[in-house]
Amino acid sequence: MSKEIAFMEEDIKIEEVKFLSGGQALMECFVAEGVDTIFGYPGGAIMPIYDALYDYTDRINHILVRHEQGASHAAEGYARSSGRVGVCMATSGPGATNLVTGIADAIIDCTPMVAITGQVASNLLGTDAFQETDVIGITTPICKWNYQITDPDEIPLILAKAFFIARAGKPGPVLIDITKDAQVKSMTKPFEYKKVEGLPGYHPRRVPKMDQVEKAAELINKAKRPYILFGHGVLISGAMQEFKEFVEKTDIPCASTLLGLSGISIDHPNYMGWLGMHGMYAPNVMTDQCDVLIAIGMRFDDRVTGDASLFAKQAKIVHIEIDPAEIEKIKKTEAPVIGDVKEVLELLTPLVKKGDFKGWKNEFRKLEPKEKEAVTDRDLKFEGQIKMAEVVKMVSDKTKGEACVVVDVGQHQMVTARYFEFKRHNSYIASGGLGTMGFAIPAALGAKMGAPDRDVIAFIGDGCFQMTIQELGTIAQSKLPVKLIILNNNYLGMVRQWQQLFFDKRYSFVELQNPDFIMISKGFGLEGEKITEREQLSEAIDKMLAHDGGYVLEVVVEKEENVFPMVPAGRSVSEIRLV
Amino acid sequence: MTQYTICVFTENSIGLLNKITVIFTRRRINIESLTVSETVRKGVSRFTIVIKHEKREEVEKLVRQIRKIVEVLAVFGYLNDEIVYNEIALFKISTPIGGKALDIDTINRIYKAWVVYWGLDYVTIQKTGTEEEIFDFFRYLKPHGIIEFVRSGRVAIGKTPQGLVEYLPEDQEWEYYL
Repeated sequence: MSKEIAFMEEDIKIEEVKFLSGGQALMECFVAEGVDTIFGYPGGAIMPIYDALYDYTDRINHILVRHEQGASHAAEGYARSSGRVGVCMATSGPGATNLVTGIADAIIDCTPMVAITGQVASNLLGTDAFQETDVIGITTPICKWNYQITDPDEIPLILAKAFFIARAGKPGPVLIDITKDAQVKSMTKPFEYKKVEGLPGYHPRRVPKMDQVEKAAELINKAKRPYILFGHGVLISGAMQEFKEFVEKTDIPCASTLLGLSGISIDHPNYMGWLGMHGMYAPNVMTDQCDVLIAIGMRFDDRVTGDASLFAKQAKIVHIEIDPAEIEKIKKTEAPVIGDVKEVLELLTPLVKKGDFKGWKNEFRKLEPKEKEAVTDRDLKFEGQIKMAEVVKMVSDKTKGEACVVVDVGQHQMVTARYFEFKRHNSYIASGGLGTMGFAIPAALGAKMGAPDRDVIAFIGDGCFQMTIQELGTIAQSKLPVKLIILNNNYLGMVRQWQQLFFDKRYSFVELQNPDFIMISKGFGLEGEKITEREQLSEAIDKMLAHDGGYVLEVVVEKEENVFPMVPAGRSVSEIRLV
Repeated sequence: MTQYTICVFTENSIGLLNKITVIFTRRRINIESLTVSETVRKGVSRFTIVIKHEKREEVEKLVRQIRKIVEVLAVFGYLNDEIVYNEIALFKISTPIGGKALDIDTINRIYKAWVVYWGLDYVTIQKTGTEEEIFDFFRYLKPHGIIEFVRSGRVAIGKTPQGLVEYLPEDQEWEYYL
């Protein structure tokens, strides 16, 4: 063989060793992280990634949304129902900015999310190129972490970091912006993915310091009137069993925050209900009576505390929380315990005394008739026009409280929290912190992807429904059997309620001229029905639940219904109104 | 209003200044001065940020929120009496022919400042010291006509026996310049 031919063969061999492109590397990262679902929308600057995705559709299910906001909310719904990291993708510029609302929603409700955005090629950065936006600058205040990739070799490490940061400690959204050239170019080395389990600047403490646990136990053991407020942290850390054991051993009455709902079964004898601005009467007012307040995985949001300076001011506070920045952010705390709720309770439960708080629990129960008479009996009077509460109660009964409930934002959100009798965990998926109208339709389809074996039922106001109505198309195209219930009062009900109570009934821009929701749903290819009469309700719900596929049920409810109890914004919980 | 000095140790990466300053913006806290440079550890930056605030608790909350940034390795907040600190200032002073002569002896001995550059009809004087010392010197020089004046941000070092670098996480192979 001549020398020349040998050279040529060598050249051919070098050609054969081609490493993955950036787009392919990204797909391999998803596979390595066990990502089975992505919610996204293609566009110019993310096309190489979508091209790589084309070869991965056997391993990764991509849901094509109708608007990028839908992708980010769907990723949230997925994460909230499954406990895994939700993944969404969008192109640069408007695609990326449309993701922003969902990202902001995810950070405030501690939802693990990885958002991938395409970006213009790196040589065009900063030149006002077509569809260029400084998405890193835009999302810095609302991301747990963000990073711009300009070199495909960075992809494995950065994605490993992204997934670690999204789910570690207090979960949250991470945005990775990838320039188009980094998606197209090949890596210069073989793809190798190593999961990240800690970073020099980020190593959240899971196991608490023992002296903090002991101090908390001491305070709890001395308490005469202890009271537990638990939040989303119980669900995020998967500590439902440990929490139940803690409650049962100590016999302390407990109440949840809005996002803590379904952390414990609603019929548990120690569960007193939920508290907050529209929470239940006893759980709210008893914060003024307890001597030790045990806050577990919650952050004293202003919708929980009202005027924080007056909230539980007689009580010593034990605060179990994974994020050190939350300690004493709002309330002075006697015994902070920094750690994962599950790990903390595993250590704390053996140290607390077996308790018997029958008398103290009774003080909560004694207040219940007052609320029943003033609020519940009125909401469930079954007279006049249909009330939201009736619909929620009936769906709750018919699904035996087992459904995964997704809600939008407003009156129906509060009514659902009040009247749905949650029996299973991770069953109330709501935009609690950000209060994002338009959350429910995309979050419901995401929740269904995250928990395919569960009934996913969304309660949505007529205003909210129109904010992300286009996602009906996603539900139809992806054939997702999601049930959507529109509670239609033809008003932006919560705003109208505030205008009635605090603005002299000056109803400023709250009445809607609504479309024919069912005709629109049918146009998208979803079955649906509109009902206006109480007699139709039961049958309509049965029909919806039995339907094999996506379904929209519109219930016309009383126009000027108000949600009570209510703690007026910024006031003390003692000023709670029942009417 | 009390002055606080916040020392932030971070990974040296793009966009980090923005990640830190948005926390000040959200809490409506003005940054009085800011100095950033790399430490003896390669790839680790040190920010020295001076702010004024009425409530110590609020500053503590701010410090805890800065700690949440993933690239931030450590954050320390100080009152002025807990640190040794200095700034550097440069003065461009006009020295026209027939103008009032500069008393270099006073500038050197009393004000511990040095002429670092001679132009044709001006000199540049460098002075290090606290904000008060620099403004003291400013008042002394003013009659000569200050063409330009610039002051750096503060650099500060804690009065504790240990160095702050000792508090940085150890679970990485750090490289040192020295």
